[in-house]
Amino acid sequence: MATVTTKLYQEPKEELISGSEAIGIACALADVDVITAYPIRPYDTVMQYVSRLKADGAFDFDYIIAESEHSQFEIVKHASSVGARTFTGSSGVGWFYAFEAITVTAGLRMPVVAMVGNRALDDPGAFGVEHNDAMAVRDLGWHLYWVATAQEALDMALIAYKVAEDPRVLLPFALSCDGSFLTHSQAIVQVPSQDQVDKFLPAYNRGSLQLHPDNPITVAPQANEDWLMEIRKQTDEAMRRTPAVIKEVYAEFKEVFGRGDDSPFIEQYMCEDADVILVGMGTLAMPTRVAVRRMRETGKKVGFLRVKFFRPFPTEELQEALKGAKGIAVIDRDYSYGSPGYGGVLFHELRSTMYPLDERPVMLNFIAGLGGREVMVSDVEEMVETTQKAIDTGKIDQETTWVAVRE
Amino acid sequence: MATTAINLTARDFKGKSDPDWCPGCGDFGVLNSIQRAVAELGFRPHEIMTVSGIGCSSNLPGYINTYGMHTLHGRSLPMATGVKMANHEMNVIVVGGDGDGYGIGGNHFTHTARRNTDLTYVVMNNQIYGLTTGQISPTSSIGMATKSTPFGNVEQPINPVTSAIMNGATFVARAYSGDVRHLSGIIQQAVRHKGFSIIDVFSPCVTFNLNNTHDFFKERIKKLEDEEHNISDWKTACEKAMLFGDTIYTGVFYEGERPSLEDVEPVLKTGGPLSFRELGLGKDEAHKIITGMM
Repeated sequence: MATVTTKLYQEPKEELISGSEAIGIACALADVDVITAYPIRPYDTVMQYVSRLKADGAFDFDYIIAESEHSQFEIVKHASSVGARTFTGSSGVGWFYAFEAITVTAGLRMPVVAMVGNRALDDPGAFGVEHNDAMAVRDLGWHLYWVATAQEALDMALIAYKVAEDPRVLLPFALSCDGSFLTHSQAIVQVPSQDQVDKFLPAYNRGSLQLHPDNPITVAPQANEDWLMEIRKQTDEAMRRTPAVIKEVYAEFKEVFGRGDDSPFIEQYMCEDADVILVGMGTLAMPTRVAVRRMRETGKKVGFLRVKFFRPFPTEELQEALKGAKGIAVIDRDYSYGSPGYGGVLFHELRSTMYPLDERPVMLNFIAGLGGREVMVSDVEEMVETTQKAIDTGKIDQETTWVAVRE
Repeated sequence: MATTAINLTARDFKGKSDPDWCPGCGDFGVLNSIQRAVAELGFRPHEIMTVSGIGCSSNLPGYINTYGMHTLHGRSLPMATGVKMANHEMNVIVVGGDGDGYGIGGNHFTHTARRNTDLTYVVMNNQIYGLTTGQISPTSSIGMATKSTPFGNVEQPINPVTSAIMNGATFVARAYSGDVRHLSGIIQQAVRHKGFSIIDVFSPCVTFNLNNTHDFFKERIKKLEDEEHNISDWKTACEKAMLFGDTIYTGVFYEGERPSLEDVEPVLKTGGPLSFRELGLGKDEAHKIITGMM
């Protein structure tokens, strides 16, 4: 397997880098063996960055520039089965073109780590962020995590390998990164040293599941009604085991690197005594936090909750965090046409999460920022006002609102 | 072929929007050549359909005054096959780049050649992915440094001409976008040819491919028609197409004859284009068919 020829980071270092570069560095630090790529914005930013690291002799790995996204995901899936640590990714319709391979990767329990540079699906052709591309794996057995900062991109890429490759889990991990806002924007990132990473992240070991001439096994045989349900159940059991593994790995990460939030699953911002809690994912955390801060200054009891893990969905954490609120405003950067009540995917998941509670808060859905449109502080303030009105009147005029849309 | 009292010129085939290509892009020459070719062949805009995939060059249908479809990445050929099957009297010109046609859509390239569908495929080959700002493509030369291969490309490029001949295309040519007169002449031959015709056009990307520039081609190109070349001899055609050094040939490498997909498709033998046919299905008959399927 590939080895790092030059230690990229002998010492921890502060770098001004983009989210994509942060993931590229994480790949180098994790000593990834095989990376595949096919050009599509915004994933190509990672593609180019790892190319440069390879050319500079700073990171040695087998690099295959495939002829399509489908081949890209097929290659890493197979490399993973022989024990290689792999990285790949795509965006928008490129991610969709790879879907046959993507679903099989989870079905075969290959701990591939992939970056989805969130991009609106065609048509119309658009480059900006939308979450529907990554959302498409939500029912397939992939971990699905929404990153908010370049620092988090680097940290979570390292955590992703450790969680995905854990023998109790062995499920692929998708890191969802908002196109442009995260992939292309630079921020200060604390890059750990190679020694720290080596201490945290053990080598990938598939054990008896590794395809090898000395370990002749069959991977992916045909299984019909005789075994299919058992195989599905095994994947479900792995997904049910992963929250405990995530907690464990996150605690270890905090210990080694001295960074991290209270919970790996959700981030709470001024939620404690909040009447209205905004819920969202990814980079819209930034304008939302600003809006919350401003509204707090005027005495409004508002908070923001960021859902980090979308799969596994942090059901209990969310019930606990949201049960005290009078109203919840869910911001979706995605949409599910024809869904129950017509709304966004995050909204539906949250409503389902809150249903078993004895006292359920008012829940409203706001569709915002599709195709890379900016979510403004004023938009967020309006969402809170609308939610407050529903709380005060006890009446919901409109459950789902398309924010800042021309009629 | 159309007979018309009014002679149209290349200008009549100018689209409503201007190309967004970089100044100096080879694709301008290809657009001009297609416009000139269809005008000189006496076509009117409604007699041509231009179909493309995704990439800089695939924006071309927006810049030409014909019917047009800008489709999915790599899928221009199956889409065009559908168009041709629906209306086999339509002249279908397929355009796109090397990544679109030989990379992600490579399988369709093979099978369209095999079927010998009567399409004219003009590939703007710049040996790089330009729209995504410069990564190696299936036609990039070995050793070429790009953003995805700063260490140099290690992969053997595809040879579109020999591939097309081997897969069964019946008109195979190569051209250079800087020679509009020559290219336009070849496009005319290709459109007239019955069967799958492909023209691999060197169309330099002046922004991201600094190896295969206009000068690079001008110094190396030799035209097949300037020397003895038998276009029915596929073996010599392949030998000449393999040269990519001091001499690079352009011109028609190979032309052969065999039935095209529309010729062998039984449904199209009589009754004209499908899109103009009456369905001729009464309510009762339709109901009978639907119940039969339930």
